[in-house]
Amino acid sequence: MHKPPPLHGPLIAADTPILVQGATGRSGRAQTAGMIAYGTKIVAGVSPRDDEASAIPLFRSCADAVAATGARASVCFVPPLGVLEAVYDAIAGGIELIVTVAEGMPVHDALKAKAATRAAGVRWIGPSTPGMAIPGKLKMGFLPNVSLAPGSLGVMSKSGTLSYEVCYRLVKAGFGQTLWVGVGGDSVKGTRFADLVPIFAADPATEGIVVIGEIGGREEEELAEALIATGCDKPVFALLAGRSALEGVTMGHAGALIQSNVGTIDTKTAALRRAGAQVFPRIHDLVEAVAATLGANALGRAHPRPAAEPIGIVKWEQP
Amino acid sequence: MMLLEHHAKQLLHGAGVPVPDGFIVTAGFGPLPGDVAVPCMVKAQVPVGGRGKAGGIVKVASVAELPPTVDRLLELSIRNHPVRACRIEAMIDAISEAYLSLAIDADSGAVVVLAAAAGGVDIESPEMRRQLLRATAEPDPQSVLEAVQTIVSALPDTLRPAIGDVAARLTKLFFEREALLIEINPLFTTRDGGWIAGDAKILIDDNALPRQPMLRDLIETNPDLYPEAALKLAQGFDFVRLDPDGDIGLVTTGAGLSMQLVDEIVGRGHRPFNFCDIRTGGFRGDPSRLVQVFKWVASGPRVRSVLMNFFAGNTNLAELAPLILAALEQVPELRQPITLRMIGNGLDQAHAIIAASGNPIFIETDLERALDRALAASRENSHTRVAANA
Repeated sequence: MHKPPPLHGPLIAADTPILVQGATGRSGRAQTAGMIAYGTKIVAGVSPRDDEASAIPLFRSCADAVAATGARASVCFVPPLGVLEAVYDAIAGGIELIVTVAEGMPVHDALKAKAATRAAGVRWIGPSTPGMAIPGKLKMGFLPNVSLAPGSLGVMSKSGTLSYEVCYRLVKAGFGQTLWVGVGGDSVKGTRFADLVPIFAADPATEGIVVIGEIGGREEEELAEALIATGCDKPVFALLAGRSALEGVTMGHAGALIQSNVGTIDTKTAALRRAGAQVFPRIHDLVEAVAATLGANALGRAHPRPAAEPIGIVKWEQP
Repeated sequence: MMLLEHHAKQLLHGAGVPVPDGFIVTAGFGPLPGDVAVPCMVKAQVPVGGRGKAGGIVKVASVAELPPTVDRLLELSIRNHPVRACRIEAMIDAISEAYLSLAIDADSGAVVVLAAAAGGVDIESPEMRRQLLRATAEPDPQSVLEAVQTIVSALPDTLRPAIGDVAARLTKLFFEREALLIEINPLFTTRDGGWIAGDAKILIDDNALPRQPMLRDLIETNPDLYPEAALKLAQGFDFVRLDPDGDIGLVTTGAGLSMQLVDEIVGRGHRPFNFCDIRTGGFRGDPSRLVQVFKWVASGPRVRSVLMNFFAGNTNLAELAPLILAALEQVPELRQPITLRMIGNGLDQAHAIIAASGNPIFIETDLERALDRALAASRENSHTRVAANA
């Protein structure tokens, strides 16, 4: 089994046409309105049902929606047991990047989705994530506006709520984001922390990387390996939650399950520190360290993205 | 989540993997069956490893010793897990021990098959790790069976029938029950050429429970043994009792932020009674979830202060505030001081609703200050009680 090479360049351009799968459900309808209000270019919805009140044209499949609107990316609001079918539909329709927000996708479904997206060269973000955003330009999912601001930090997070709190406080301190990707709280997922390192490392507007990790799995350890392998010399600020968690019990997130010596705070802290990252137990200390390292009021000198920014989604290339 | 050994062995038995005869006893057990063969093993049922080293596995030589031994184990707490049940199990006369497991590798999305011609409790030692045979497969039964064949062919002749048979059965079980991990350590071989699973560890996927009726049944019929999972199934939120002597009760939403709050409180020298991800998004205008959590928090014998935290990124605090007030009215036994940290949509309106109620909830918008306030309230509350007792 091979691993695709990591992505390079920006994950998605701000003007990419996006469709919404599950656009007529309770959550899908509400969040579609939120994304459009944020300025996201939502061009179509996919749903088995009609909805007279829909603000966007609705289609029965991604293939139909792509043919009619030129959508290239999808944000998927279907319930957890339907996510795998939705991913297959997106792949069949030619979608290049899909964000699935639903929490509770069965892990064996996630394995199948991972294999299928990888084989098709489709970038998958999720499951169990509030999504991703380029602050001020685009939002796929429901990262809260109060925590979003254009700025110079690249953010990667497992937890929704914890990242809301951390970014809210960073924004209040004057530090916004270039790109914020919630990779999700499950163990098997489409995009992992390590996959994002080349993107943030190569992005000239990203001056520092904020990592919001937690117990369980090996993602933070892989991230440390990727930081070293990439030679990324940008400052990395990591917050790791769950040092007081109970072993053997799922702490809210399916992925936050410690087993024996794998996935503990100690292994993660040691690995990240070896890679040059600063690791914090307290939110307050992370915010202080960002301020001390990047200087006061970086929000005021947020980098506008250069006009020559590559357009479109960078695909996974098969080796 | 991890199944208790007893239930893991029931699953193995159902899949045709031999396991020692055994039965489970829980607190308040009645007379034990008279025909228990001795000597036998009494094994504490907790969802963590290291039971043996923690004194949770005891060999018993006579029937008379059984009840006091079970009673003693049921008093134990192993790595913060209270022992809620014991498995009483027949002794196995083994001539050798092997190791076998199937697991999901989250990074690659592959299934990893591991086996070794030696097993036992030290499987994680560097020496044992070197002896492990490893094969990876695409996540489908056929590929995993092929990986199993590769491993079996590299094993000593004496072990091939045992590992080959058991691994094929585990593969079927792994996909049918959507397991994340199945581990048999040790897999005993016996004098008569047979084999039997000495211990069993199975991690199941909480997310798959809606379409795994057999596993859902197991949890629903054993809510005392799987309190967290049973709660999640029945009511759709998380509540974990962390420390029976904890002084801070938490009524919070969001898994990651709630975990972080637990850490921040411990880091400041206090002891959270519980972890909680109440999921305000699931309230739908009904305060009953809050009522339930308030009752549990109030039941903590040493809880002296309650911290509530709601970051309303997508919900509306103005809708939440009346639910909090309605729930508190239904839980008069919650007399501890409450610090309510709210931030996000509808804050001003929520503030006004609570202020108008006259309820002495302390409202704070900054999380650091809310933490300081809640912890100070616990210390002040403790002094008050000491003074009252003096």
